[in-house]
Amino acid sequence: MEHANTLARCALITFSVVIVAMIFIAGKRDLYIRRIQGLTAIDEAIGRATEMGRPMVCLTGLGINGGIEIVVLQALAIVTYIVRSSAKFAARAICPVYDPQMVPVTEEAVRDAYSLAGRPDRFNPNDILFLTSRQFAFAASVSGLIWREKAAACFLFGYYYAESLILAETGQMVGAIQVAGTPATTQIPFLIAACDYVIIGDEFYAASAYLSREPTLLGSIVGQDISKGLMLLSVLVGVLLTTVCGLLATHGAQIFALWFTQPP
Amino acid sequence: MRFFLWLFLWLFRWLSTWLFVPRHGRALYESLAGAIAFSIVVLAVLSAAPNSIRKYTIRAVTLLAGAFFACEFLYPVHSMPTGADPAHRGNFLTPYVFTVTTFALIVSAWTVGLGLLNLAQLHGKRLIRGGENAIYSAAFFFGLISVGIIGLLQKPHANAINKNLYTLLYTGALQNLDATVFSIIAFYIVSAAYRAFRVRSIEATLLLATAIVVMLGQTSIGQVMTSHFPTAMHTEVIRDWIMSQPNAAAVRAINFGLAVGSLAVALRVWLGLERGSFFDSQ
Repeated sequence: MEHANTLARCALITFSVVIVAMIFIAGKRDLYIRRIQGLTAIDEAIGRATEMGRPMVCLTGLGINGGIEIVVLQALAIVTYIVRSSAKFAARAICPVYDPQMVPVTEEAVRDAYSLAGRPDRFNPNDILFLTSRQFAFAASVSGLIWREKAAACFLFGYYYAESLILAETGQMVGAIQVAGTPATTQIPFLIAACDYVIIGDEFYAASAYLSREPTLLGSIVGQDISKGLMLLSVLVGVLLTTVCGLLATHGAQIFALWFTQPP
Repeated sequence: MRFFLWLFLWLFRWLSTWLFVPRHGRALYESLAGAIAFSIVVLAVLSAAPNSIRKYTIRAVTLLAGAFFACEFLYPVHSMPTGADPAHRGNFLTPYVFTVTTFALIVSAWTVGLGLLNLAQLHGKRLIRGGENAIYSAAFFFGLISVGIIGLLQKPHANAINKNLYTLLYTGALQNLDATVFSIIAFYIVSAAYRAFRVRSIEATLLLATAIVVMLGQTSIGQVMTSHFPTAMHTEVIRDWIMSQPNAAAVRAINFGLAVGSLAVALRVWLGLERGSFFDSQ
């Protein structure tokens, strides 16, 4: 089991306090969040699917370790926004699921999304499909689904591995508009090459706040930004110390580096 | 507060030593039957409970489970040598990590049945209705039943027939099918690159030039082409610099943001602050 050293303990607690504090402050103030083009394109994609009368395919990814994870839940939060928006326009949303543990969670989330949009009658449990928990069998199944249904829009949110290009290229071949968002840095180049809009990095985690504009979620984004600022500060201090101590031939930089690398 | 913590840990220790004692023969089947009956009762109670009680139960369990792992990670550690690992370090919660993780694994194992039920319902309806795709639903049931039976038999009855059938189905069929789908990526990379690497803007041109240099650096033809130039102009040297300097810096910067973002989402879910359809209906 991994355990935290002193710096990790302090950093984790500090960042957590900052994020939670901003969540509570956000209820009292209006907070600004910049435009994220990939997320604005979601409405465009839903509109296109409605006009063409073809379904949308909404994926929540494979997850990192399997099971119910933060990455998959975040992807599901974005998918429920998509479903809620599409319910008003009677566009069909198909949600293939990779992990059996996510099947009841996805079903309930999508059902609630339709109810919140005032269209509980549009919920079709057959559109929440558990396909398989094998990576390439899942890729083949989803590709076949996109091809047969001639999807007008594909949303690839969540954690992907090598199958990301298979899914994105299949969507490209049927002429679907594709919006992707993944925390998997290794797959970002493939999705950028094959998809129309891609959200990268922590824009993925900001997506639910951006789409819903909930004050508590906006507060957490501001808290994240403050935490990133603190991290950047420590990087700058490290760079300055290393440069100065290197020039003066002293051990100050090594002492600073030890805070990061000492074992628990 | 310390008393309640001590009481909780004592109860947990007693429960885990009683529950996780290996059992054999009749005691094993009785334990299995008891566990199934207990699970059904818990599921029935949760299903019958009103939404508000269910919501608070889920939040309480999430909070406790998250608190356990967070405290175990953050609490200072000391030397706790074991027979297998004399250098092992941990704190007072470390001995219970296996127990808590096993609880989570057992709960997740139930959901495999849910996935199978979902698939069986879908394909069963298609098979009964008939139509042009019914043959694929029949193939699904054939694969499920045959691989399921052979997979279950090949451990307790490991004779030549069962082992050979298992090897044929898993290594011979399934792994080869995986490799087939994986190999499509080689062709898709070419088509995606053809579409993406166009001279549309300054950034796109820079991307194209960098991609050409990195691709040449990865292959022997690029190394042959630049072998007569100074070392600094060899494609493999330029490729190594691109991948280890600007590319690594950008990836690390993205990873910083991702780490903080995942911390924020985890905190929101753990503390019940997340808003959305499946967390808190509005």
